[in-house]
Amino acid sequence: MIDALRYEWMRIVTIRSTYWLTGLALAFALAVAVAVSWGFASEIGDPGGPSDLDISELGPWLGTQFARGGAPHFLGFLLAMVGILAWGHEYRHGMVRATLTTLSSRTTVWAAKYLVVVVWVAVAVTACFFAAIFVGWLFLRDYAVDLVNAGTYEAWGRTVLYTVLLACLAMAFTGLVRNQTAALVLLFLWPLAIENVITLIFFLVPGLRDHSDLTRFLPFSAGGRIHNDSVFSAGDTLFGNPMTWVGGAVIFGGLTLALMVASLAWFRTRDA
Amino acid sequence: MAVIEARGLGKTYDGKAAVDDLSFEVQPGSVTGFLGPNGAGKSTTMRLMLGLDRGAGTTTFDGVPFTALHRPMHHVGALLEAKPFHPTRKARNHLRMLAVASGIPTRRVDEVLEQLGLTAVARKRPKTFSLGMGQRLGLAAALLGDPHTLILDEPANGLDPQGIQWIRELLKGFAASGRSVFVSSHLLSEMALMADQLVVIGRGRLIASGPIQDFVKTSRRNAVLVRSPQAGELADLVRAQGATVEPVEPGLLSVVGLEPQAIGDLAFDASIRLHELAPRVATLEEAFLEATGAAQEFEAHGVATTPDGSGVSRRSQARSSTTEGEARSSTTEGPDEEGDA
Repeated sequence: MIDALRYEWMRIVTIRSTYWLTGLALAFALAVAVAVSWGFASEIGDPGGPSDLDISELGPWLGTQFARGGAPHFLGFLLAMVGILAWGHEYRHGMVRATLTTLSSRTTVWAAKYLVVVVWVAVAVTACFFAAIFVGWLFLRDYAVDLVNAGTYEAWGRTVLYTVLLACLAMAFTGLVRNQTAALVLLFLWPLAIENVITLIFFLVPGLRDHSDLTRFLPFSAGGRIHNDSVFSAGDTLFGNPMTWVGGAVIFGGLTLALMVASLAWFRTRDA
Repeated sequence: MAVIEARGLGKTYDGKAAVDDLSFEVQPGSVTGFLGPNGAGKSTTMRLMLGLDRGAGTTTFDGVPFTALHRPMHHVGALLEAKPFHPTRKARNHLRMLAVASGIPTRRVDEVLEQLGLTAVARKRPKTFSLGMGQRLGLAAALLGDPHTLILDEPANGLDPQGIQWIRELLKGFAASGRSVFVSSHLLSEMALMADQLVVIGRGRLIASGPIQDFVKTSRRNAVLVRSPQAGELADLVRAQGATVEPVEPGLLSVVGLEPQAIGDLAFDASIRLHELAPRVATLEEAFLEATGAAQEFEAHGVATTPDGSGVSRRSQARSSTTEGEARSSTTEGPDEEGDA
C-alpha cells in the first residue's frame, strides 16, 4: 500500500492540472471573499445593510462561498475535477497499463488513488475556507464581527465532508465510464440541469405536483443540505422536509459509496 | 533468470476468440520473437500474460504469475503502448513516478535516461516527442527496474534505422546476460537478425514455436536451383524421387524435396550435365507469409497481377494460401498453384 501511495502522490504532484485546478479554487474563494467582505465593510451600520444574523453567519458564508446559504459549491466542483482526472488520465492516455505493470494489486491502486485525492481535496478546501475567512478578517477587523466561531468550524467540517464526497462520487463515475469527458459533463449537468429538470417536472405535472417534496431526495439536492442546513433553513428531521445535514450526507454519501463499490468491482474484473 | 510459461491463454470478444488455447515457453538467454498478422492476438496475448486483460489460462515468470510479483518492475519490464505516459508530465517525472513505487532510487532514473539517450529531453513534456522518442521513454520505463524479463510490443515502431540497430543490440545484449526477451514486431527482417526463437500465431492460435532456423527450414521456399542443358530429363528423374520441380526459365529448375547432394548424385548417375546447383534458403518473411497466409484476420482486397497479366483479388490469394498452409508439410505442390495466386 505504501508503494501505491507513493506512486499516487508522485502522480498527483507531477501533473499541471492539479495545480491549476487547486489554484483556480483558491482564486475563486479569495475573489468571492474580497467582494463580499468589501461589501459588508462598506454597508455595516447602514439601515439597509447586513442584519446581525447575517453578520453572525458571515464566517461560514465566506468559508463556503455562500454554499451555506444555498449557492452551488463551485469550489467543490473544481476540486472534484482533480478526482476525475485521477482516473481519466489512466484511461485517456493509456496510463492504466503503466500503472498496473508497476503496481500489480488493483485493489491497492484503487484505494491509494482515492486516499491521495481525498487528502489533497480536503487540504485544498480547508486552505480555501480559511484563506477566505482571513480575507474577511482583513476587511472587517475594525468591526465587531466574529468570523471564527463554533458555526465556522462546523461549516468547515461539513464543507470538507461535502467536497470529499463529491470528489469521490466524480472519481467513481469516471472509473465506471472510463471517459473523463463524460464524467466532467455529468459532474456539472447532473446537479445544474438534470435535477432541476426533474424538480420542474414534479412542479408542472399535476399528478406529480402533490409529491414534489420527494425531489429533496435527489442526490445533489440532498447533498446540498450538508452545506445549507443552517439557521436560515434549519433541517426538520433526519429525512424530513427540509432534511438535516446528516440526512443529506446519508443520501449523498450512500450514492457515492454505492458507486465506489461498483467502480472497485469493475476495476478488479475489467480489462485494463 | 526467468522462464516464461504461458499455458492455455484464451480471450474472447463478443463470442469471437481473439486468443485461443495458446501455450508456449520463453527461455532465458534468448530473444524470442512474437509474430503474427495484424489482429492475430499478439497484443492481447501480452496483456493476458501481464494480467492486464481478463481471460483464460495462466502465465508464470519462474513459476510466479505477474500479479503475484512483489514490485513487478524488478522482475518484468513491459512496453505495451506506443506512448504510455501522460503528455504533459515531464519525462523524468514519469520515470520518477514509476521508480518511487518500486523502491528504485532517482539516480537509476537518470541512468536509464542516459542509457536511452533521453537526458537532453528529461525535463521536457512528452507531448512534443516523436513516436521514436516516445518508444525510448517507454523502453526506459521497462528497463528501470533492471528486470530479468522484457515483454515488448512493437518496440521498434517509429525508430529510425540507427534506433532499430540500437534496440537490436540492446535486446541481444540483454538476452546474452542470461535474461529473457519476448518481443513482437512487424519488421521481419529485423526479427531475423534479432531473434533466436519464434512464437508465431494466427487468429489467436499457435502456428509455430521454436528456433528461428527450424521455422525457416519448414518453408517450401527452400529449394535447390539446378541449371542443366538436359533440364527436361533431370525434371523427370527428380520427380520420380518424389520431389517437386518447378521450371523457372528454360534450362533452370527449382527443386523442392531433395538435397543438392542427392540431385547431384542423380544427375551424375544419369550422365546429365549440370551447369549450376545452388541451394536457395527461404527468408523469414517468406516462411512467415507462408505460415500465416491462412490466418490473416484482416486482409487487403487490392488487385494483384498474375504472370499472364490478369488481376485476381488478394482474397483469392489468401484462399490459395490456406491450401498451402494446411498442406505445409507436403512437398508436392507445383508451380500451377503459384500461378493461381
